[in-house]
Amino acid sequence: MSNKINTIGIPTEEEIKKAQIDFSPRCTSAGRVNDKETQKMVEYILNFARKHSLFVLAYGTGCGAIEIPATMTSRYDAERFGIRGAATPRQADVLLITGYLSTKTLKRVIRVYEQMQDPKYVIAFGSCTINGGMYFDSYNTIKALDRYLPVDVYIAGCMPRPESVIKGFIKLQELIKDGNAGNGECYRDNLDWYRTNQQKIIKNWDFPDKYNW
Amino acid sequence: MEGIGFEILGALLTTILAFVVGMFFGGLNRKITARTQNRVGPPVYQNFIDLMKLQAKRTNIAHGFMGHVAPIWIIIAATTVLMFIPILHDGLWFRNLTFRGDLIFLLYMMVFGSLGMALGAGQSGNPNSAIGVSRGLSQMVGFEIPFVLALVSLMIQFQTTSIQDLMAYQHETGQWIIFANPFAFLATILSYLGMFRYSPFDIVGAPAELASGPISEFGGKYLGTVMTGGSIFTFVKLVLMVDIFFGGAGNFGTGFWGVVAGLVELVVKTFIVYLIPVFIGLVSPRFRTEQAIRFFWKWPTVFGVIAVLWAVFL
Amino acid sequence: MDLINNLKEVFEIEGKIKNDFQIEVEAKKELVSSILLYLKNQHGFIHLNHMSCVDWIEDEIFELVYIVWNPNIRKTVMLHTKIDRNNPEMENIDTIWDQANTYEREFREMFGIEFPGLVAEREFILEGWTEMPPMRRDFDTKKYAEETFATRPGRENAEDVRETIVKRTGEEIPDFAKKYSRD
Repeated sequence: MSNKINTIGIPTEEEIKKAQIDFSPRCTSAGRVNDKETQKMVEYILNFARKHSLFVLAYGTGCGAIEIPATMTSRYDAERFGIRGAATPRQADVLLITGYLSTKTLKRVIRVYEQMQDPKYVIAFGSCTINGGMYFDSYNTIKALDRYLPVDVYIAGCMPRPESVIKGFIKLQELIKDGNAGNGECYRDNLDWYRTNQQKIIKNWDFPDKYNW
Repeated sequence: MEGIGFEILGALLTTILAFVVGMFFGGLNRKITARTQNRVGPPVYQNFIDLMKLQAKRTNIAHGFMGHVAPIWIIIAATTVLMFIPILHDGLWFRNLTFRGDLIFLLYMMVFGSLGMALGAGQSGNPNSAIGVSRGLSQMVGFEIPFVLALVSLMIQFQTTSIQDLMAYQHETGQWIIFANPFAFLATILSYLGMFRYSPFDIVGAPAELASGPISEFGGKYLGTVMTGGSIFTFVKLVLMVDIFFGGAGNFGTGFWGVVAGLVELVVKTFIVYLIPVFIGLVSPRFRTEQAIRFFWKWPTVFGVIAVLWAVFL
Repeated sequence: MDLINNLKEVFEIEGKIKNDFQIEVEAKKELVSSILLYLKNQHGFIHLNHMSCVDWIEDEIFELVYIVWNPNIRKTVMLHTKIDRNNPEMENIDTIWDQANTYEREFREMFGIEFPGLVAEREFILEGWTEMPPMRRDFDTKKYAEETFATRPGRENAEDVRETIVKRTGEEIPDFAKKYSRD
């Protein structure tokens, strides 16, 4: 895992095999176990509270935002899981990246993500965040989201139906219960790598380089 | 020292009771809203889970000293007002700190929490907070007038400013004050709609209006503290209404089960009063600030003036 | 048809009727603003519907299309002009219709057409863009996308997802999915 940006052409066999294991280079949800032995009971109770009350930031970045009102209202009620909308990133836990992200939006989303408080989760909707989707040859949208932000759960589809969205939230709840979600600290530790990736595509960079929100 | 011990224990129990009942009422509000909209809502204890999650945030961001202090201010205001309201009539427990000048003290103490919120929101520098605070304080100008008129009419009618005496009057004559002066009740319940900040007067803190107004820069444990203070304050307002107009919660003897029965009666009465803002809030759209103030200075003020005239001449 | 004859008396144009409600007119680029102003004032085509640009890279011209509409007789006139591709400049019709400001801003950013007299910010949709204007046909967008953005390893040739998984792991495609295969 060097600091080189991982853009490759048509992959060879062994690159595919390697990519299967190395799918999300830095902050991934798999494999991190909460290892504070003495506080296991406390973490268990706190994770129970965290997974049953998720505040979702009401920010639709792409066309997938049209599935969010459908999930929250009467037919596919998401409030019975404790999910409710939050108005500002200071109050929110979960950031939904619903679809494609142009470079303009990515700059604002990074700022929003860094304003949220730990532990924070990112759910990525749609195939545009997985491999570029419908806009795979566009000059303006990003192709793989987790080079720029750490992602917990991907939901496939274009756009995923409300049942898939709820299944994604339940997967996030399972990850929280095992203590594997929440990549805020990992983002802060690997900030150089993420900043390199982000600055490559965002040309008018005017943030401070350090993470100080 | 036994007296002091009892007093402090009673105060603690009162605070815990207010906290628990207030949070459950918040959860019941969400549940009733959900059922009315033909869906299953969150469980009734959802507010406790929200509070636990907010307190369990690992980083907490504040913008300076007042940002730390503002949520604590709200809890202080709510708890102080709680201490001055008798929970049960004439009991050994829950007597708290009632004294003769109650109602006037309450009138200006209830505004204290909003002041703290205004200071804390102003320090964060977010323009949404500043506009939300100014809207909130303008609305307060609106609903304070019928509230004060109603309470003044009660003070004139019964020649006392102590809630204890009002409750004693209701127990002795057996007649609730809502029948003795119905216009005061109308003025009070209409100004309570503004105090609760549910629809149609929720322009201050609604998520779609200026990113939730004054609390837009509070997150984590500050938001949890604000929520707790709000719940305690809800309970305080409801108990005040029940004590003044509905006879308070009686005391079925001084034994343990008497106290428990009194508390159950209190919770039932406050819940019935709580349903009025909830149901009106379910079906109402939102007023702008000037429409809200105009509403409060029309009919509720008229009811308040009629209540004062009723008290003077009848 | 009498509209076309009327215009032919005043300006030097070529026109034909496309169907019931659309009329195509072609003119030189210096006459465009006069024709549009004449249509707006004298014939009641008061609404600018759309402005569009076509890149004819083989003939080395940009073709601009202006579409105006008359709400009384419900007909549209589509006005075509051709401008040189190597040095594209066009007159600013901002003073006739205000919305042309946004259209011309888009052309300036996406095609590189200059409008002398246009008062608007340079950056419109793309931030910090230093390459060739991206809507031109000689801008290779796929190559640019592959070089700039990080791609998902193993998915560059955009194969069907199920068949990729089958090739990698040797699973069986279930029966209901076989009819969606691309072969």
